[in-house]
Amino acid sequence: MTNYQFMFFLLSAIIIIFSILTVTTRRILRAATFLLFVLVATAGLYFMLRFNFLAAIQLTLYAGGIVVLIIFSVLLTSHISQKLEKASISKRILAAIAAIAGAVLCIITILATEFPTVTPNPPETDIHTIGQALLSTDKFGYSLPFEVISILLLAAMIGSIIIAKKRKD
Amino acid sequence: MLIMRHELLLVAILVILLLVEIFLPEKHKHRIIPLAIILMGVVTALGFIPGPTGSLFGGMYSTSNLVLIMKNILNIGTLVIFIQSAEWLKKDENREKISEYFIVLLSSLIGMFYMISSGDFLMFYLGLELATIPVAAAAAFERFKEKSAEAGVKLIFMSALSSGILLYGISMIYGTIGTMYFQDVAPKFTGSSLQVIAFIFFFAGMAFKISLVPFHLWAADVYEGAPINVTSYLSVVSKGAAVFILMILLYTVFTKIALMWRDVVYIIAILTMTVGNLFAMRQRNIKRFLAFSSISQAGFILLGIIGQSQLGMTTVIYFVLIYLFSNLGAFGVATAISNKTGKETIDDYDGFYRTNPLLSLAMMLSLFSLAGIPPLAGFFGKFFLFTAAAKQGLFILIVIAVLNTIISLYYYLLVIKAMFLNKSDQPIAYFKSDFYTRLGLLICSAGIIIIGFASPIYEWILQLSHGLIY
Repeated sequence: MTNYQFMFFLLSAIIIIFSILTVTTRRILRAATFLLFVLVATAGLYFMLRFNFLAAIQLTLYAGGIVVLIIFSVLLTSHISQKLEKASISKRILAAIAAIAGAVLCIITILATEFPTVTPNPPETDIHTIGQALLSTDKFGYSLPFEVISILLLAAMIGSIIIAKKRKD
Repeated sequence: MLIMRHELLLVAILVILLLVEIFLPEKHKHRIIPLAIILMGVVTALGFIPGPTGSLFGGMYSTSNLVLIMKNILNIGTLVIFIQSAEWLKKDENREKISEYFIVLLSSLIGMFYMISSGDFLMFYLGLELATIPVAAAAAFERFKEKSAEAGVKLIFMSALSSGILLYGISMIYGTIGTMYFQDVAPKFTGSSLQVIAFIFFFAGMAFKISLVPFHLWAADVYEGAPINVTSYLSVVSKGAAVFILMILLYTVFTKIALMWRDVVYIIAILTMTVGNLFAMRQRNIKRFLAFSSISQAGFILLGIIGQSQLGMTTVIYFVLIYLFSNLGAFGVATAISNKTGKETIDDYDGFYRTNPLLSLAMMLSLFSLAGIPPLAGFFGKFFLFTAAAKQGLFILIVIAVLNTIISLYYYLLVIKAMFLNKSDQPIAYFKSDFYTRLGLLICSAGIIIIGFASPIYEWILQLSHGLIY
């Protein structure tokens, strides 16, 4: 086993184990912490694929920003010591069957599929290329999605104002 | 620039409303309501001016005349909903958030426009998110009511779940083909086993959004809890846009596995019509009742999609147009009653005709049109859908659909019976509706009657849908 393979299996194991822990733990703060490990390990996978920019974004935005936001909102809203309700056995069995069956189906099909390869060694995507693509209006340019996302963010902000605005009495 | 005029006009209104909200003094805030309605009316009218069509951004965005018609239909729907919301927004508890309400619905409409004219999966997905996330905030508009907050939370959870499923499907398509542009995906979508799974995930995600059976369970709670205008937006405008883009994608991107998705749509159409009807019969709350009836109407729309022909496409758009007026008419009356009295169950409607004859008549028109009684527009909508399915030889499906129409007639008549025949010791007292409510109901009733008699509208859509299927 090469070092590369070893790292891949290590990161994948971290992702799988902590993902399961995230959804099975009954304490919400622990779930948020486990999620952090999942996101960091995913960034590791991106580094291995040499998507350096994407990995940096993953670390700063997801691991850095979003998890902190989640933890903040958990601390602000709920009692941390409170445990989630225990699901009934029948629910758990049904959920497990559905999840395992779905996973097995997907894994078998994915393993059986031959994916198209672009080039033997895809070049490293640098900031320059990303910047060009982000603001290009031609095919494989992303300026339209870039602008639409800004409307989405505006709408999300105003939506949160609707929910958070105080009632005048 | 002119190609994208519908979206740009809406963005313009959005910015104007935002600026007005910032600079208008507090005591004049209620004037935003007529302003928003007038602006929306102008944009709706401008939308009908013919202009260039084509694609932009390297195929990421494309329109055709058919897409433009759909955008105009959605514009009309939103305009009517704005008009119907006026009275409700004037209430004391909502006065603080008037412009926010309009902005949120407008941005959702912009999302739908980008979704239905998307040329690749990325824009499609972004449009879909922009169409759903703001509506979740609107559903939680009356968040001091527990049910409204619950509706918002449920909507955002269900849309997150369905988006996750849908994205997984899209990622599989991207993995097997290596591109996200519809025109590049279509020839390479051969129906390998992974692509079939991808299609199933994709379809399941869309079925959640349209609330087709068996992905419909979220709909009733959300529709009941949300403010009634947001409910009508969800069940008419959102549903119409999602059905339209689903149809386009089935016809273009997934056309090579048409034999497979036809069976899927066939079964889901039957399930949706039947289950929606059976649940609608048992509802006593008018909002839940209309929610389930709209689920079953979505099943009828699928009938036209199975046709997979120009005729099918035309009938679907025509049906959506009629459904929009009929459903908004019914919701409009329910809104008026709920605003004045707070009553929302069918039993409260007993003897409503004696006290409020005009509103009862408007409700009767809408319900008859929903049930498909000639000569109202709803009859022609259903009739053409059945014709499109009959051309494909799907006679068993038509028999089931007709049986379902009869069932639906039963429960629509129950409401009409309550209003006209049932006697009540304490009927809802007479009330005077304001200008906006009347205007909204007038538009809907006119639409129901005129579209039924005016065949040029149908011919026009039929003519525009030429050459879209490849």
